[in-house]
Amino acid sequence: MDNEPIKEKKWIYEEIVGRIPPFSLLSYKYSILLQFLLLLVIGITLGFIFDLGQISLLYGSLAILVAISWSLLILQLAPTLRKFRAPLSKDENELLERYKGILFHKNHYEAVPGLVIFIPFMFYLFYFGTDLLDMWLGKAPHPILLLFVSLLIWDICYRMGLGLWTSVLALWRSIRLKKLAEKRSELEHTPYTELRYLQKLDINNVFFGIISLLLLPLFKTDAFLVIITFFFMGFVILTSLYSAYIISTVPWLPPDIYNLVNESSFAYIGTSLKGKTHVTPVVYVFDGQKIFFNTSKEAKKLKIMQENNKVAFLIDKRDMSNIYENKAVLFTGEVKIYGIMDIPMHFIDMLSALKLFMKKYPEYTKKYSTSELPKAWQLTPIIARILVEVKPAKIIYWRGAKQISVPV
Amino acid sequence: MRIPEEIRNILYGNYFGYVCTSDKNDQPHLTPVFFIYDENSQKLFFITNDRSKKVKNLSENPNISITIDIRDPVNPFNNEGVMAQGTATITDKAPIYFLSEETLQLYYDIYQEFKSKYQKVIENKPLGENDVIVQINVEKMVYWKGPHFKSLKFKKDFSG
Repeated sequence: MDNEPIKEKKWIYEEIVGRIPPFSLLSYKYSILLQFLLLLVIGITLGFIFDLGQISLLYGSLAILVAISWSLLILQLAPTLRKFRAPLSKDENELLERYKGILFHKNHYEAVPGLVIFIPFMFYLFYFGTDLLDMWLGKAPHPILLLFVSLLIWDICYRMGLGLWTSVLALWRSIRLKKLAEKRSELEHTPYTELRYLQKLDINNVFFGIISLLLLPLFKTDAFLVIITFFFMGFVILTSLYSAYIISTVPWLPPDIYNLVNESSFAYIGTSLKGKTHVTPVVYVFDGQKIFFNTSKEAKKLKIMQENNKVAFLIDKRDMSNIYENKAVLFTGEVKIYGIMDIPMHFIDMLSALKLFMKKYPEYTKKYSTSELPKAWQLTPIIARILVEVKPAKIIYWRGAKQISVPV
Repeated sequence: MRIPEEIRNILYGNYFGYVCTSDKNDQPHLTPVFFIYDENSQKLFFITNDRSKKVKNLSENPNISITIDIRDPVNPFNNEGVMAQGTATITDKAPIYFLSEETLQLYYDIYQEFKSKYQKVIENKPLGENDVIVQINVEKMVYWKGPHFKSLKFKKDFSG
């Protein structure tokens, strides 16, 4: 796939910071830390010069802390999206390019919501007779102080705007991606790693929303602003959670492989211990996202996997009458073995896997349940039959004689 | 040692084998193969491309296992199969006039066997220029039917 290389995409803030030494010389985390310290030093110095109360310094530091924490979260967007690999679907790739294009538009639309918040807020603060300024700075503050506070307010508003802007765009992107994913054909898909990146960014935005709680002490005397802050927080958190949820339902396997995994009855599991390999058939289930198989507690492969959890897991469709119709998919990677200790954390996962097994292999469930069987074979879930999840790092797909490597 | 009838039936009655190899980091790899079983030498053979991952793995680690089975999605008690474990020997790859007579004979025999077993599929397709024959020297076989297992050990074959 030939995409034009992703240009360095930056927001106004990143661009400014990126040009001024010493910030331009530091990695972005240190650069943000340095900005934090610098703002704090300026604030405290001004506080001493103009003889502000301790409470004013506290309010100022809190505002700086919020602005800086938001920066830390939001500035992860650009580097993450920069290393994003192109989806193997033309439509999905176009969507993500459009998403990035709007997010980092050269007209800097990202500053618009910030301005929309900043201007009414300043009016409210200076002309609506709220006593917030008195509370922050005392009576008749010096213009230099007002300037510094306005700067901090802009910093906060700009980032609030970014929070709204990124979470709304993310939700739009997730809904579109989900729709496009339903129209995929053959090997089209967006790889697992990339989907997880998107999800991680959404979760970052959830934290972004939570951090706005820190603003509440600053507004404590103004019920209206408290309500607005809660509204803002709720909006950012819900949009981002919903977006993350949608991404978690986008299949990470292309339709050809998805269908093969969904429709086959058996798989082969290859394991290796000190170079000696072992391969046996297993029954497995697939819930659209995760692949689980089942093994007896006494099985040799379980003992091997407990020492070396690297596996090869193969699902195929074999047809001797038409070899060109043969299909197989190989997942190589690791496994997670579920034990009793996992029940509290993964109860729902384990239960739904068990249900899928009963639905997919009703006869097995019935036959395994009889007590005439050797103990190891009895279907006493979790105790005698162990649930194992396949976590692929690499996928190879064969169709006829063609071998295709599919990115995860 | 004669191998039991039920194992013979599986080795002769099935077309697909699942070969497992692993690299020097103990990362396993699996592929389906067409195979033949030679009763006289009690060895299994399959043909593969010398650039394949399994050949690369075998050059790092000659241990190999292959499973041949009958699967019944309805009744697990009909599931039946054999796993053979051992080491692999790969025939030299060289232009045909440099191959030893022994290797040539092996190529010829194996190819004839393959042709008769997989006639429908390979028709008259000749061996490709990168194809090599992998010979599995079996050290152990595990047979199962439903929940019952049987294990067979073979004497190590030091002749190669």
